[in-house]
Amino acid sequence: MSTQEEALEQERPASDHFMDLSGITKSFYGRTVLKRVDFTLDAGEIAVLIGKSGSGKSTLLRIIAGLTKADDGDIDMMGERVVIGGEYQKTWKAARDQVGMIFQNYTLWPHLSVRQNLALAPKKVLGESDKVIVERAERALAEVGMAHHLNSRCGQLSGGERQRVAIARALMMRPRLLLCDEMTSALDPPVAAEVLGVITKLKEEEGIGCVLVTHDMAFAAKAADRVSYFEEGVIAEEGDPRRLLSEPETPGLRKFVDAVRF
Amino acid sequence: MTSYHFDWSIIPQSLPTLFKGLGLTLEVSVITIILGTILGFPLATARMSKHEIIRWPAQAYIEVFRCTPLLVQLLWVFYALPAFLGVTIPAVPSVCIALTANMTAFMAETYRAGMQSVPVEQIEAAQMLRLSRISILRHIVVPQAFRQQIPTILSIYVSLFKDTSLVSALGVADVTFQGNILSSQTYRPMEVFTTVAIIYFVIAFPLTLFTSAVERRIISSSTMGAPPRSGGFWRQLMPGRRPVIPIPAAATTPGAAGGSAGGEPVAGDQLLESRLTSLNPQGDPS
Ligand SMILES: Nc1ncnc2c1ncn2[C@@H]1O[C@H](COP(=O)(O)OP(=O)(O)OP(=O)(O)O)[C@@H](O)[C@H]1O
Ligand SMILES: [Mg+2]
Repeated sequence: MSTQEEALEQERPASDHFMDLSGITKSFYGRTVLKRVDFTLDAGEIAVLIGKSGSGKSTLLRIIAGLTKADDGDIDMMGERVVIGGEYQKTWKAARDQVGMIFQNYTLWPHLSVRQNLALAPKKVLGESDKVIVERAERALAEVGMAHHLNSRCGQLSGGERQRVAIARALMMRPRLLLCDEMTSALDPPVAAEVLGVITKLKEEEGIGCVLVTHDMAFAAKAADRVSYFEEGVIAEEGDPRRLLSEPETPGLRKFVDAVRF
Repeated sequence: MTSYHFDWSIIPQSLPTLFKGLGLTLEVSVITIILGTILGFPLATARMSKHEIIRWPAQAYIEVFRCTPLLVQLLWVFYALPAFLGVTIPAVPSVCIALTANMTAFMAETYRAGMQSVPVEQIEAAQMLRLSRISILRHIVVPQAFRQQIPTILSIYVSLFKDTSLVSALGVADVTFQGNILSSQTYRPMEVFTTVAIIYFVIAFPLTLFTSAVERRIISSSTMGAPPRSGGFWRQLMPGRRPVIPIPAAATTPGAAGGSAGGEPVAGDQLLESRLTSLNPQGDPS
């Protein structure tokens, strides 16, 4: 990009959306995994990403999280340009502070208790006192329906409980956006529904937004504000979940929906 | 069966000499263990560096010590160091240097295996909570790596203790050396070396018992961290492999079983690389 273009780029006002991704492109070893993907999210919105394996959902999530660097594309967050042409700007740090992420497996640090899992980052990063941390930890655990587990060992928790503690741990850093990558794929459906219920509750009570990769179509239909269907690195179809899932337009999504009909 | 007549009468008077030798054996062992345990850590870190200039020499060092006999290493240090440095080093410090150099290589590999066993997601989760690289190493990677490798570390200690007997070849008066002298003085090699063997055994055996006990404890507390019903302990111990997570039937869709970006099972160095780059996020402009 020339300096002139770059200057123009910087002058352009940042998006009004909570988060605005445009032209996100990513290749791994010469294979393009994301092709100029545009994606927006408003504050407190739940967006669900669906699509076949390898279609680029996790990659997009990781780019938003800053765990993977995009080759090209811009990201605006809360009115700031945080990524320009794939390059992370100084403003990125403050924006990233608003983002939490929940993974599919191994979410908790197993050698630490629930309390230590929740306390580590607030103590080391925010420098909060133990007293404040314990109070907040109790509140965060209550919020995910895990009150009274403050002193549990992680090994004693079930898979669903672990994911809820992982959400509580993310809440300790006061995120406004949670990124969840197949957070419930390893759980039995009723347990998965419980964990996903927490996400809906956080949206309604705290206004915390969420970008969620899931294969749980029941959840998508019920709780998502928007569903984006990924196909080979592009968002092939996007919109209201009920419409998208009942009257898919693209043949790919039609096939996908048929395969997972619930 | 045999016409050899054991005569244990010479043993009591030999014991003081043997114990003196044992003192030196323990001294060399303890010094080597302490130094190797400490120095293995920086070497492991160098071995995992993403800079080739650092990683390559560390790897070469480790392979040299893993792929040559310890006795040759001892002799080499004993004769080569004076030749290169122009100073004569007495036998005891010389063998301590050689044993430590060897031990450091093995400890480094053990630490590396331990650090590799920490799932990438745990490190990425820590990064997402904005923990610093140092905090991640100190509070998440190292404690788990160390805990997981305690049995291996203990068995390296036991091997080292036994391998110190090689220093007798350089005239270091350890328990084996003293045994050798005594056996030629008394013409009672069987009795003397049986005693020497018992001395080594009495020290090493409790340590191996302890190692097994630690191993059992780690196994019994090992379901932590992995999702429940995820394929058993042994699979989790295998480096670079993850347990296969059963996907509930209702959640199965085309592709539901796929791995996530960066979370796919990768083996060996590839996993290591991803682990290290994940300690240094590409996306972090800081
Ligand atoms: N670190 C990486 N190195 C190389 N290739 C990668 C890497 N991460 C992802 N890929 C490739 O990028 C493509 C998209 O992967 P991604 O994980 O984003 O897909 P996904 O939609 O999340 O799939 P799934 O539903 O299986 O999780 C895949 O073909 C994958 O092999
Ligand atoms: Mg994925």
